[in-house]
Order: sequence, then structure tokens, then C-alpha cells
Amino acid sequence: MTVPRALADSPGVGGASPFVDDLASAPSEVPHVPRWIPDDAETEASLLKEIGLTNAEELFADIPRKVRLGRMGLGPSHEEPEIVRVVDTILARNRPYTGFATFLGGRIAPRFVPAAVDAILLRSEFYTSYTPYQPEASQGMLQALFEFQSLWVELTGLDAANASLYDGATAAGEALLLSRRIHEGNRFLVPASLPWEEKSVLANYAAGTGIRIEEIPFDPRTGRLDLDWIRTQVAGGGVFGVLADVPNGFGHVDEGLLDLKATIGDVPLTVVADPLALAVLEPPGQWGADIVVGEGQGFGATPSFGGPLLGLFACRREHLRFSPGRIVGATNDADGRPAYTLTLQTREQHIRRSRATSNICTNQSLLALAFVVYATTVGPRGLADLERSLSEKARTLASALAGIDGLRAPRFDAPYLHEFTVEVARGTATGFLDRLRRKKVLGGHPLADPRPNASNPLGEVFLTATTEFVSDKEIAKYAKAARAALAHVPGSP
Amino acid sequence: MTFRQARYDEPPVWELAAPTATPTPPPALVPGIPERFRRRKAVDWPELSELEVVRHYTRLSQMNFGIDTVAYPLGSCTMKYNPKVSEQLARRDGAAALHPYQPVETVQGALEILWRLESTLAKVTGLPEVSLQPAAGAHGEYAALLMVRAYFQERGELAQRTEVLLPDTAHGTNPASAHMAGFTTREIASVDGCVDVAALKAAVNERTAAFMLTNPNTAGLFESEIGAIAETVHGAGGMLYYDGANLNAILGVTNPGRMGFDVAHLNLHKTFATPHGGGGPGAGVLAATETLGPYLPVPRVVKRGRAYRLDYDRPKSIGKIKTGYGNFGLDLRAYAFLLAHGEEGLRHISRRSVLNANYLGAKLGKFLPRPFRTLVKHEFLLSGTPLKAHGVRTLDLAKRLLDEGYHAPTVYFPSLVDEALMIEFPETESRRELDGFAAAFERAVHDTPEHLHAAPQATSVRRVDEVLAARQLHLSRKDVRAASAQPS
Repeated sequence: MTVPRALADSPGVGGASPFVDDLASAPSEVPHVPRWIPDDAETEASLLKEIGLTNAEELFADIPRKVRLGRMGLGPSHEEPEIVRVVDTILARNRPYTGFATFLGGRIAPRFVPAAVDAILLRSEFYTSYTPYQPEASQGMLQALFEFQSLWVELTGLDAANASLYDGATAAGEALLLSRRIHEGNRFLVPASLPWEEKSVLANYAAGTGIRIEEIPFDPRTGRLDLDWIRTQVAGGGVFGVLADVPNGFGHVDEGLLDLKATIGDVPLTVVADPLALAVLEPPGQWGADIVVGEGQGFGATPSFGGPLLGLFACRREHLRFSPGRIVGATNDADGRPAYTLTLQTREQHIRRSRATSNICTNQSLLALAFVVYATTVGPRGLADLERSLSEKARTLASALAGIDGLRAPRFDAPYLHEFTVEVARGTATGFLDRLRRKKVLGGHPLADPRPNASNPLGEVFLTATTEFVSDKEIAKYAKAARAALAHVPGSP
Repeated sequence: MTFRQARYDEPPVWELAAPTATPTPPPALVPGIPERFRRRKAVDWPELSELEVVRHYTRLSQMNFGIDTVAYPLGSCTMKYNPKVSEQLARRDGAAALHPYQPVETVQGALEILWRLESTLAKVTGLPEVSLQPAAGAHGEYAALLMVRAYFQERGELAQRTEVLLPDTAHGTNPASAHMAGFTTREIASVDGCVDVAALKAAVNERTAAFMLTNPNTAGLFESEIGAIAETVHGAGGMLYYDGANLNAILGVTNPGRMGFDVAHLNLHKTFATPHGGGGPGAGVLAATETLGPYLPVPRVVKRGRAYRLDYDRPKSIGKIKTGYGNFGLDLRAYAFLLAHGEEGLRHISRRSVLNANYLGAKLGKFLPRPFRTLVKHEFLLSGTPLKAHGVRTLDLAKRLLDEGYHAPTVYFPSLVDEALMIEFPETESRRELDGFAAAFERAVHDTPEHLHAAPQATSVRRVDEVLAARQLHLSRKDVRAASAQPS
């Protein structure tokens, strides 16, 4: 095996980035064929010869000279041991949350993934398969997706689910577009407390429609949505949809949501729901939701620095034909045996083109599989027990932080499950979290929109959450680090 | 080859619980949560042992094609081998156990992967500004059109530039994305499988926002008039958009920047070998000129000295298109793939995939007509029209190929070819596999109409009744139960 010079000469792992330009500027070696491309040069030559060509260059005779390239400026090829070494060297510069007391959360949850789930995801028949457009050869994935749809229907209390969208935020964007198709108007109401990324994604999904997104104010003490404000807006006309989330962007459960549908009447209600919360909370379909979306990564997938994620989407039966994404249906085969297939495809881009309900093609099937395998491995009792246990830990955490001068924990006087918002009374949330990090605690994430001109009226707040990785020991560590972090902030007593 | 797919009568997972099992009790109230909000009925899902779960889903997996077991001659889908080393690396704690909201000091390696991949793809595409945020190709199309929108808005031309043009060979996602982004669409007819430049010249005007083009196109043909096309679109003040679905054919030979494109999307799950996962996840890439670069989604990954950070200070940016920074797990796999190939390896990919298509095209052209010129890039079209005289359709042929142990080609696309079959064998398929497929194709095309209509027989189920599926709309257990409660 030839070791590319960039590697051979490198000082090794550590401080300086020894491979930083290995793809770009390493000296060219004798090219070797990556062993992912089969056959020797003679065999390739035989293929050429059989079609009457002598030189592979003739295959590109239709590409005009003036658009031809010289070199791209990439480095040499690498064999597998070097690939592993290069990538591992880079990854060693990360500090995974598993090395910290971790309280990160929000829509993306660093939860435990049972080994059985990944064992199924590593079945190559699943992960290397294509979209199941050939149902006869794809019954396994189709049935798993049908089970996934059934599970999201069960959790949400709605009528039908699709086979996944990209993530929770884009699913909310698609919910906005569906609402517009089923109701008149040009105003969409979303909580001011919605995570900033979701607001931005919603604005982008609305960009082509000429509609207006308006923010629902919340009670500064409880974080609850102002139902009177919503009622007034709906009465004022032009509202085609209202979106609310459970838990909300502050991590709290807003009891007022149970009365939201009565407030808005026939205006479609979209609920963004945490699937784990739905193991213990009344399904949104029971309290008037017309569309329920959510982020499903916490069920069986690692956070992987934010992707791939899983967009969950369910709606009412009468709105199906206006809804986005692939859908699996049950049917029979020619022998009358049960079978599954993609259905309602006339809504989709490959058939309907510009009049499709969405442009989505590739979705998140493998994550949908992870979702249903996870939930089935843990079981319904296990899911409810897990949410209950994480909620208890969150209460323990809140008690531990509540007594610390300089913190307001929880910031809002409202019920919560596994997460809540904390206010930093002195200094900045980012500064506080950074000081925790130095004590090996990832205490949460700031809720502020980081863009320079963003308005962040809430001030210095962050969201904190519990997972299976949190025990009393981590909570004590958090509290200790928090005290130390605040002791040095100007304005301390 | 004698092929038989596994055939289990595997019931839905909810039928696996023992009939004598005690129903799960409703969850207890979580302290602090209002009683009104408590789930009154437990989630109705089976309580199973781990073995029961693992056996169920393992059996399902055995009733599914995957690249590791069969070849996929799927045109425009580039179903190449997904290297195992990438799967292994993506599962390292240093990649999987990273939360997107961790402080940047703790994710320097992840940012370095993103930065290196972006830099590499800038060289591959010839477009300097790259973002890895789109979740998939269509998502990238949408984001790119929002960037075009924002660009024209800033120039005060948005009210006027309302139309996106595309050839009749375009992927369905192109017009769908354009429509979602608020544009109207107009199709440009093709001549001999390529854009009719005269028709394009007649169609562009001050309303043109963009022309979306795949090159090589979905007929497998390189649009050799690309110079004139770019000149035409730019002359009218429009933007030229590159759909990167077919990039596999031209790596190192030409690139979107060189061809005059302003913005492009790539599919890491096609050209750069990240697995399709049964329909997803994919990963999209946005690449743009310096003019459109400022409109890319935030944050951008920037490097100063040895440190990487996420830059949100991009006033012209369209903002966010999804949570996080893209599908990092797939970006990492693609980076490993690029590292493996390097400059020469990428050229080899295109050389071999184009060779495969031309070799197989010549072989299969003996059995069915090829509608356009025979020098193709990474894929080629056949027309199943002659089969119609025997009462056989392209669909029958596709199903018959499943019985040979091959996935079916892409069928009935592009629509400008009657009874189309679009065939692509990426570079990871061997001569033996090409010859095997050619032999299988010959057997299939010469088979009796009765056999072709009865296909497939070797798959876990036989021909699936899609009409019944659309009529009864049983989309979940809820529908199945409702139907069995009220027999019609």
C-alpha cells in the first residue's frame, strides 16, 4: 500500500491540522483504482473495444472543448486504512456529549438508542435500498413504513400519516402550505415562543405564497399563548391557520392548547408535538388538531450534529389529497395475499409536476424505520415510563437550580415534562453555558436567534433538558458548576 | 440466475402480541401536568420481547431489495455501492454523539468535516460558495430558487421575473420546486432529446427568473449546446440552475461553473455514494457563484487560523431551510468517499459509468429501439413501444426483470419517450453484472406475453394491486380495523 506523502510526512494527530489540505494539495501519486470500482484495465479496455472505441476519451466527444476542465485541484486517492485515520483524526477534535454531563435538548434529543434498533438499521436490505417504487421487491420497507404511519396515527389521534418528511421544521412548513390549501386567508399565526430556526424555516416555506406569518404573544409569567389575542385575530378575518407546539419552545406544556380549537373554530390547527410527550399526553387529535407534525429523531436515531432528522406528519382524512409526501397503503397482490404499495401518488411531483402538493421526493424512510423499531423495542409502557422518569429528573434539576442566586429556574410558572427554560439574571446565557462547559457540563442551549439583527425580547434564556444519561450525580455536578459560574459574574453578591 | 426472494407471511407488528396479553394500562399522571392533559388511554401498541421485534424486522428486511444483494439499473438515481467504511465512521461517537447546539469549541472536528467537504465540492462544481444544508436534492432546488428570488427582490426585479423555464426532460421536482417558490413554469420542448435552443431563445424574456437544466439530461445526453443556452439565459437577465442528479457522468470532465451555471444542487446520495435508506435520508448540496453566495442559508462554516465557527452574520441570507446544518451523518460518509477517490478516482468514476452505459446501451439496443443518438453519458433510454404489438407494456418488462434478480430500470420517464426505460449502471457495477443484466434483459424481452403479464413470480408478493390501494385507502392500522369492523 502506498502512503500518500501528505500523510507520511504529517506530524500525526493533535494541535495542528496535519491533513488540512490533503485533498487539495498533496502531491499526485500513481493513481490507484479505488477498490469500489471493479475490473482491471484490460476488462475496461474490452468494454471499450466491443463498442468500437479505442480510447475512453471518445466517450466524451459530445462535451465541447470550451467547457472542458484541466485539473480540479483535488488530492490523491486514499486506501481504507488512511481514510479511517484521516477521519478519526478529525473526529478526535470533537468532544461528544457523552463525555459531559449533558442537558441539551429541544426538538433534537441526545437520547439512548437501544442496540437492537441499530442492528435493524444496519440490515443492508433496508439501508441500501431505493424508494419502494417497485412494491413487489420492496415489501419489507413498505410494511415497516405502514407500521410507522400507523404508530404516528396512534400517537397523534389523527386519521392518516405520511411516510416522513425531512425534519420537524420542514414538516411545520408543509403544514402551513396544507392549511393554505384547505382554508381561505393569507395570515398564519405561530407562537412568538417558537424556536427561531422553525420560524425561519416557516418563513421560507411561505416565501412563495405571499402570505403573512404573525406571532402570537405569550403571558410573560407562564409562557402561555394569549388565546384572547388569537380570538381577536381570527375574528378579524384572513387567518388560514394557527400553529402551536407541545411542549412549547420554552419546554412547557400549555394547558390553554386544550381550548385553542374552540377559540379558532374551523381555522385549521397545526400542532407541533414531541413524540415522547405523546406517550403521556392526550393525543392532539382529541383536542382539535387538524395537522400534527413533529421531530422524530429522538426515537431511535442519534443527533449526528443535527442530521439526518425525521419529519413527522399526520392529518385528517378529508385533507389527504392536499397533503405532502409519500404514503403507503395496504392492498393485495395478484394472488389475493396482503401487500403494501405507495399510493395517492397523483399528489406527488413525479406525476403532478408543478401542480404537486409538495416538491419532496427523497424523504427520511430509514429514520421512519428507526422510529417504529425504537417504539416497538421500548414498548408503550416503556415510553410512558421513560417520559415520566425524564420528567422526574427535570423536576430534580429545577429544584437544584432554583436555589442558585443569579438563575431563574424554571423561568416560567407552567407545567413541564423533560425540559424547561432557565433565565440567567446576571451576564449572558452564552457566557454562563460556556463556563459550565469548562466544568464538563453542557447545560442547555440559548434560545436567542443568533443573527446579528434579530430581536430577542426574552433576554438571557436557555433551554435545558434531561435524558437517560442524566442521574442525580450529573444534576449535582450541574448545580455545583452553575454556582461557580455565577460567583465570578459582575453583580454577584 | 435462479432468484427467489424470501416470502414470509409476516403479519403487521401489532398482531404479534399474544392474544392473552394484558392491555397496557393508561399512563399515570406526570406530576405537575394538568389532569385534563393526561392521556386517558395507553398508546395502543404491542408489548414485545426484543427477539420478537428483531425477528419481525429482520424478516421484513429479507423481503426487500438492496444494493448489497441486487443491482439497480435505475436511471437518474445512481444507485452505486455504499462503502462499509462510511457506515462505520458515521457511527463513531465523535460523529453520532454530537448535538447541533453544542458550543462550537466542542464540535471543531464536525465543522472541519463540513468545511473540507464544502471546499472539495467547490472544486468539483467550479462554483465557489457551497452550503451543505439541504436535506435532499429537491430541498436544494427549493432553497436555490429562494436564493434566486431574494436576489431579484434585492434588485427590484422580482415583480417582473416570475417565470422559471425548464426542458420537457426535467425531473418532476424542478417544476414542483419552482411552483413552491412562487414562480410559474414553462416547458421548453426538446429536439432529438436535447433542449431546442431556438425554442429557448424564443421563450426567454424580461420575465425569466431562471432556466433549470440537468446536464447530462434525463435522456442520458450531454447538452452540447450548453454555451448557447447559458448565453441565452444570461442575455435575458435570468439565472441558470444546475440540477446535479446526473453529475456522476462528468466528474473532472466539466462542471457547472465551467458550463456557466449560477447555482447548483448536488445529491450526495447519488454521486457521492451515501445510502438511499429506502427513500431517504439523502443530502443535498447548494453551490453558487459569488453573486448568489451571499443568499445561501445560515449559518456558513468559516475558518480562521485553525479554528472553525458558524457565521450567522449574512444579511442577505435566505435564513434557515431546516433545523441544524444539514445531514451531517451523510456529509461525513461523502467526505470519506471523496477522500478515497481523489482527483483521479473521480475521473475514473465518470469514465467507467459512461463506459458502462454505452456498452450496455449497445447490447440492449439490439432488443429495443434507442430513441436518440447512441453516444450517451451515464444512462440511456430504450423505448418499449414495439412490445405493445404483443400486448406487453414496459411495466411488464420491468416486473419480469425483478424475477431475474435485478431491480427494474426507471420506467415511463422522461415522458417525451413512449414506454420509456431509463437505464444506469454506475461505476461500481462489474462487467460480469452488465453481461448478466444484458442476458436477463434478452430473456425477459423474448419471454411470452403470458409470462410477462404474470411477472413477477419470484418476489415476496406477486403483482400488487395499486388500483385497490388507491380505492380503499387503507393507510394505517386504524383504516384496516375500521374496514374489518364494517364488512362491505
